[in-house]
Amino acid sequence: MGTSRNVERRTILKAAGASAAVLGLAATTGCGGDGGTSADGTVTIRYAWWGGEPRAIAIKKTIALFEKKFPKIKVKPEFTDYEAFWEKFQTQASGGNPPDVFQNAVGFLRKYDKRGVLMDLKSQADSGNLNLKNFRNGVLANGQVDGKQVGIPVGANTMSLVVDLKAFKKAGVAPEFGWTWDDYFAALQTIQDKLKIAGDTGYFSIMYLYDLYLRQHGKAFFTDTALGFTEDDLTQWWEDGYKRVKSGLVADPKKIEQVKPKSGLSAGLAASEFTWDNFSIRYEGEGESDYGLAPIPTTDGKDTGQYLGSLMLSAFSGTKHPKEVAQFIDFMVHDPEVGAIMGYDRGILATTEQYDAFTPTEATNKGVKAYEEKVAAEGVLGKITPHPSGADVIEAAFLRIGGEVAQGKTKPSDAAKTLFSEAKAAFAG
Amino acid sequence: MTLVKEAPARPAGKRPAAAPAGRRGRRRENLAGYLFMSPWIAGFLLLTAGPMIASLYYAFTSYNLFTPPRWIGLDNFTTMFHDPRWQKSVEVTLKYVVVATPLKLLLALGVALLLAQKRRGEGLYRAAFYMPSLIGASVSVGFVWRALFSDDAIVDRTQKVFGIDVGGWIGNPDYVLYALVALSIWQFGAPMVIFLAGLKQVPQELYEAAEMDGAGPLRRFWNITLPMISPVLFFNVLLESIHAFQVFGSAYVVSNTYCGPADATLVYTCYLYQKGFKEAQMGFASAMAWTLVVAVALVTAVLFWSQKKWVHYEEAAK
Repeated sequence: MGTSRNVERRTILKAAGASAAVLGLAATTGCGGDGGTSADGTVTIRYAWWGGEPRAIAIKKTIALFEKKFPKIKVKPEFTDYEAFWEKFQTQASGGNPPDVFQNAVGFLRKYDKRGVLMDLKSQADSGNLNLKNFRNGVLANGQVDGKQVGIPVGANTMSLVVDLKAFKKAGVAPEFGWTWDDYFAALQTIQDKLKIAGDTGYFSIMYLYDLYLRQHGKAFFTDTALGFTEDDLTQWWEDGYKRVKSGLVADPKKIEQVKPKSGLSAGLAASEFTWDNFSIRYEGEGESDYGLAPIPTTDGKDTGQYLGSLMLSAFSGTKHPKEVAQFIDFMVHDPEVGAIMGYDRGILATTEQYDAFTPTEATNKGVKAYEEKVAAEGVLGKITPHPSGADVIEAAFLRIGGEVAQGKTKPSDAAKTLFSEAKAAFAG
Repeated sequence: MTLVKEAPARPAGKRPAAAPAGRRGRRRENLAGYLFMSPWIAGFLLLTAGPMIASLYYAFTSYNLFTPPRWIGLDNFTTMFHDPRWQKSVEVTLKYVVVATPLKLLLALGVALLLAQKRRGEGLYRAAFYMPSLIGASVSVGFVWRALFSDDAIVDRTQKVFGIDVGGWIGNPDYVLYALVALSIWQFGAPMVIFLAGLKQVPQELYEAAEMDGAGPLRRFWNITLPMISPVLFFNVLLESIHAFQVFGSAYVVSNTYCGPADATLVYTCYLYQKGFKEAQMGFASAMAWTLVVAVALVTAVLFWSQKKWVHYEEAAK
């Protein structure tokens, strides 16, 4: 015992030291936010986005370009896929530590504006750090909420019908602007008869397509605070959809599920799929056929209900460096070199400077450009309808419940009821 | 006399300070122990106990992470019990527990019985069967499972050979849960090792005696093995059912992060996760979490109560 006394004292000291170190470590990792200003006046801002690898590579190039032109500003990139992005963002933002600049979309604007996370960039525009001019086709309005400019569009896109060109040609179907829903479903029938495959991958659970359909009927998916349609409307929409699954015009949802994350179109399970036009690039990589863009079917032979949606850049209202953040966004949306690097990855480039700086060379991008120019020329582009806080949750619910209808697990009328009750909760949250 | 008597009580200086210093020494020793434990204690308080208490409080509030929690009493619980998706998640989870746990234990016991016999390369077999338990929780296995059970994949093709055509399990709401069950059963290694340990403890002479009395293998298993390993069986049942109630990773990965199709793999924790981290209803999610804690505690209590009827401890025999 006598000899061990010294050892004991030493071990006590060691243990104390170790614990202090652990606690100290916990304390330092707990608060990483130092405001991002180093001794030499260099400012560091965090920039977060979602998307795949090609986007990450391109954005990193644009960051390098920015840091070269603004040596006093360092940009720290953070990126994940779409799902993980919003889960992470929610946690970061609630902890008061969201990225200074981040990619945003219309479904999230009101939600995070309501929670005070988004900076009104008008003030920065007024002080000359950010230029709000030269946005194409009035797309700047997409980033406005109640008179505030909380998002700056980087690109614009619109809904489209992506078709398997080979299949459509074989079946002898040629979609044209002004075709109607009846024409569309007749085309699906022809495809089924001639090629023995389904025509569509599951149009009726896509919220943004149903929005277009409603707009063709003078309604919209959302009003400022609620849903812009009735339970009966939706029941009808889903009943028709389910009927077409049963008859084989729309692909078997079980098969569509199996090939995920690949799309049913590129897996050859169906000949067409409604989606945003700039997404068409993925099909070339995934599938073995050739893919092209076709117009949205109409009700009256004219109005497609389309509008330009966009991905945007937003800034955190509590950022310590509002000026640098504004300069960064300005550079990202206006600099021609950035436009040339990004291409149409996030939709057709939103500002004229960037639009002019990029000439697409490969087929998909060319197709997207031609499609949007045609849509604009047709004069069918309307104004975007509001997306209230909770829109993101409702979009996920619409997809899920539509899927249950397709699988025959829920009756369309019950499904519509469920969506309405879930929407109520989402608006309240 | 007294002096003489006192003398042996204090044998000249060797251990004079033993009593007072011993107490101090013990205190010192305790202090050292606590100091060594302090990182763990701090971690427990900060990362486990604290959040648990906070979540108990949130269970009675409406909390979206951004605005301060608002006390709403039992509203979360009443909403929860009336929520059809919550009911569905309970249904799915119970189905999973009731199907997966017994099957997994049966397989574990079966293989343990085989491996308990002396044979060449037994170590290799044990390692091979235990391996899936080590990697079973990983995301990559979830992806492998998707690939195995998809349309036109190996399972589907094998079935078709036997004339069964369900078109892959993953997209089919009627089958996809059983893909998860299969994944759970595949990881039978951990309970198997425990069974193996239990089987090794059964005295060989019991079997010898039974054999002399003319008992066949089935009878020996039923009358000797099963009662003798019942404590181990109880332990495994308890552990595996608690484990099954908390299934998350496999459901999340196999069904593309949304626990479908048609909510077919909407296990309890998956719905909890969706409510908390996708819809930011932290109060509701906390209420769900505490309901799960209570439910698992109840199941555990029932199992403990039931052991009187079927678990045999051998104290009396010793």
